[in-house]
Amino acid sequence: MTGAGIAVVAVIAVLLFGTGYLLGRTGRPVRTSDVGTPVEHATFETLHTASLAAPPLRAGLTEESARRSARRLRSLLGTDALCLTDRDRVLVWDGEGDHHAKGVMEHVQGLLASGRDTAFPTDCADLDCPLRWAVAVPLTVDHRVLGTLIAFAPRESAVLARAAGEVARWVCVQLELAELDRSRTKLIEAEIKALRAQISPHFIFNSLAAIASFVRTDPEQARELLLEFADFTRYSFRRHGEFTTLADELHSIDQYLALVRARFGPRLAVTLQVAPEVLPVALPFLCLQPLVENAVKHGLEGAVTDSRIRISALDAGAEAEVVIEDDGTGMDPERLRQILRGEGGTSTGIGLLNVDERLRQVYGDEYGLVIETGVGAGMKITLRFPKYRAGVHGS
Amino acid sequence: MSGPDHLASVVAVTLVVLATVLVGGFGLRISRTTSDFYVASRTVRPRLNAAAISGEYLSAASFLGIAGLVLVHGPDMLWYPVGYTAGYLVLLVFVAAPLRRSGAYTLPDFAEGRLESRQVRRLVSVFVVGAGWLYLVPQLQGAGLTLKILTGAPGWLGDVLVASVVVIAVAAGGMRSITFVQVFQYWLKLTALLVPAIFLVLAWRGDGQPRVPLDEQLSVFRGDHPLYATYGLIVATFLGTMGLPHVVVRFYTSPNGRDARRTTVVVLALVGVFYLLPPVYGALGRLYAPELMHGGDADAAVLLLPARVIGGLGGDLLGALIAGGAFAAFLSTASGLTMAVAGVITQDVLPSRGVRHFRLATLLAMAVPLAGSLVVSRVPVADAVGMAFAVSASSFCPLLVLGIWWRRLTPPGAIAGLLLGGGSALLSVAITVSGTVRPPGWPHALLAWPAVWSVPVGFLAMILVSLATPGRIPQGTNAAMTRFHLPEALTSGRER
Amino acid sequence: MSAEPTPRREVVTGEPRRVRPLPRYRAQSEIDEQTALGDAYVRSLMRGQLRAGLTAFAVLALAAGTLPLVFAALGSAAVVWAVLGFATGPPLTLIAWWYVRRAERNERDFARLVEGRPTP
Repeated sequence: MTGAGIAVVAVIAVLLFGTGYLLGRTGRPVRTSDVGTPVEHATFETLHTASLAAPPLRAGLTEESARRSARRLRSLLGTDALCLTDRDRVLVWDGEGDHHAKGVMEHVQGLLASGRDTAFPTDCADLDCPLRWAVAVPLTVDHRVLGTLIAFAPRESAVLARAAGEVARWVCVQLELAELDRSRTKLIEAEIKALRAQISPHFIFNSLAAIASFVRTDPEQARELLLEFADFTRYSFRRHGEFTTLADELHSIDQYLALVRARFGPRLAVTLQVAPEVLPVALPFLCLQPLVENAVKHGLEGAVTDSRIRISALDAGAEAEVVIEDDGTGMDPERLRQILRGEGGTSTGIGLLNVDERLRQVYGDEYGLVIETGVGAGMKITLRFPKYRAGVHGS
Repeated sequence: MSGPDHLASVVAVTLVVLATVLVGGFGLRISRTTSDFYVASRTVRPRLNAAAISGEYLSAASFLGIAGLVLVHGPDMLWYPVGYTAGYLVLLVFVAAPLRRSGAYTLPDFAEGRLESRQVRRLVSVFVVGAGWLYLVPQLQGAGLTLKILTGAPGWLGDVLVASVVVIAVAAGGMRSITFVQVFQYWLKLTALLVPAIFLVLAWRGDGQPRVPLDEQLSVFRGDHPLYATYGLIVATFLGTMGLPHVVVRFYTSPNGRDARRTTVVVLALVGVFYLLPPVYGALGRLYAPELMHGGDADAAVLLLPARVIGGLGGDLLGALIAGGAFAAFLSTASGLTMAVAGVITQDVLPSRGVRHFRLATLLAMAVPLAGSLVVSRVPVADAVGMAFAVSASSFCPLLVLGIWWRRLTPPGAIAGLLLGGGSALLSVAITVSGTVRPPGWPHALLAWPAVWSVPVGFLAMILVSLATPGRIPQGTNAAMTRFHLPEALTSGRER
Repeated sequence: MSAEPTPRREVVTGEPRRVRPLPRYRAQSEIDEQTALGDAYVRSLMRGQLRAGLTAFAVLALAAGTLPLVFAALGSAAVVWAVLGFATGPPLTLIAWWYVRRAERNERDFARLVEGRPTP
């Protein structure tokens, strides 16, 4: 995505260079200089102006960003006036003849609907007004028209029409990048939210409390737990990489369980069955641990009796099959369906939903979670991971 | 040849078969059940994995075929075991670590990941299935032969028996290349050949060390062009090992590229040790079962020797050990291959995925070679395996080597190489097996041992067409190369 | 588990979301960054590893290429029995061992280079 974006920007930059060069030749007297040729100067100036106009647009198409970029864009095009609009109103008018701003939205209604470039005469009553003709081009992101860019000129100009189109495309790339930035931020936010949901403050507090309780009685144990805790949080908060390996994920679960055991002691029994053949399988980062945490929660929640958790990772040909089962309180299947539809509301089950969504996102719908549960019947979660999927690489 | 005196052998074979069915059918997985994560999540160490690879690799061709071929055709046939071993060296130096780092589980995975093309993936799948089927035929025929010698049962029965056992075991959800089972298989096969061999050599010494007719060369190897045939064999086995579907799948178990390399070295040593034994049987067979040299089932030599040389109860028991080992060889290689072929069929041939489809695929994976083994006239076991190697060497070797070391490989180039190299080898093998072109003469030699020319054809086609289509170099080539070759110390942040 | 009858479980799956899996060949930014940064490094590593591999392969090819001719010239079957039957395993394993050592040394040197640590 970014790679393609960068490529597009590069192409546009080349186009701009060409346009700027042409404009530089036609619009202004050629300056002479001791340093560098006129062409080099024109190139530099064009690129410099373009780069100055870019940062504001990276915030998206708003009045503020439009205001800050409009002057640069106008000097890039070398027109008398330039106007940016969103779908409803004029965001900014730069240059002369802002009395046209009122009527301009009427002219672009067709464009907003069709997404096609248009040109129109201004038909200005004021004969001194230099703005006799305008070209309007759409600003689109993902095939949606966000607004328009309108350039005004004293007469019809094919070059200006083309140049306006190129500048608009360049603006679009900036806006697309803005969109990308936004969704990436959203993604990171979601990730952090999910992580916070998984590693609840309770857990951190309880772990530290448990560790503290050992400090006097069993310093060696406390030291070990503290190391586990550090390791666990380091893994959970690691930022690079979307994927991990089953071995690493299981290792992190182990540390998590060690911390839980320190608190609950023998009330929690864990059985593991791991086929060593599947340990190298790559899988989305932190997609087992929330489920184990769920199982622990269900098992120990209000239960008077001891709790048992079974985790197995078996080899199934071209896939690995992971099962996490507890004999805890279970869950009402209807409620679970709600949670998986994203209608859960409270924080419970965010782990389940998050894992289910990520698995489907990465591997497709047929790899979603399969959960067997009932009220008081414990819960068994089955996950399948293809041993190989293009683009999925552990670590 | 048959009757109650072979009761011990029948019992041994039944035990091996039963154990296989139990391990498979009841899903009794020898995986570690424990509450100790450290123990449970320990990855498979190179030595263990190497024994498992060897266990799956040493097939009927190795267990029975080599001794039989050596017996009949003389020591030139020893190029087979040398090639089977040296193939791992080539695999090691060009493929092992990068293939593991690619994360691919099967060859189609590798092709898709490297070339970013579903088309290439599908084509590679076709060749994997083709090579797998070719390799399965001799396994079944070997089983038929073994059963015939042990019980006098008609030859087809053994084919059907092994095919059924494998299908049941694999489809029921077991025999999933379980490391420990395959490790056990290696030691079982080694023991089953080593112990009788020791007794045989002792008996031979007790016999006054009669001179073994080493020089006697009754049947000239492959008619008229022995040297060409030898080179054909060398090229096929040296370069073909890296593409065998059940070998590739096993490398996935290595936790990383470095371990994959170390594993391969150990495989070389283990396989090398095993291959010390077949020549012993071949040589003693010349002495004690000379009638096999003049026709008949030379592949049976290994099975017959204990009764011939030692005789009595001891001979029977040793014979039973060999029979059990032979069946273990058929079953392990056949199930490994069936798993690999069925996996490819499920993923790339049948429309949707699921357990039921995997079972259907298993049936399909075995039905074709079974039909082949029953219909096609019997080709010596090791010869038939040689053909599977030739196809693998002409298609997968160029794909893997160029895919790993050459940035300019393109999907059209890969397709051209696979079709021209692998396709022509496959066609040659088909013509040879159909019996249309018979020896003597160059046409037969060229078709029976295609690797000498089909491997260069495959490489050239891949290189030339890739150079002609520079615009089709996959976008992710550099990223893939980085992934293939970057040491783990740099990628994973911590060394494990 | 308690002795009372275990309540029934029901199978629950999320509804199909008709999500398209992420594009299969999406360039991974991390690796891209690594590539852009260290492409020249990787190329040099590849050259080193290929050299090691080709050296080992050349030794093997030379032996395998000439041995059949030598055997044909000698015409002594006993020699062939001895050499092919019992004397090939050790040299093959030795070559393999040599290669692995060299390949791992290459990788260590490379890692050191990239991480900017001095050679000890």
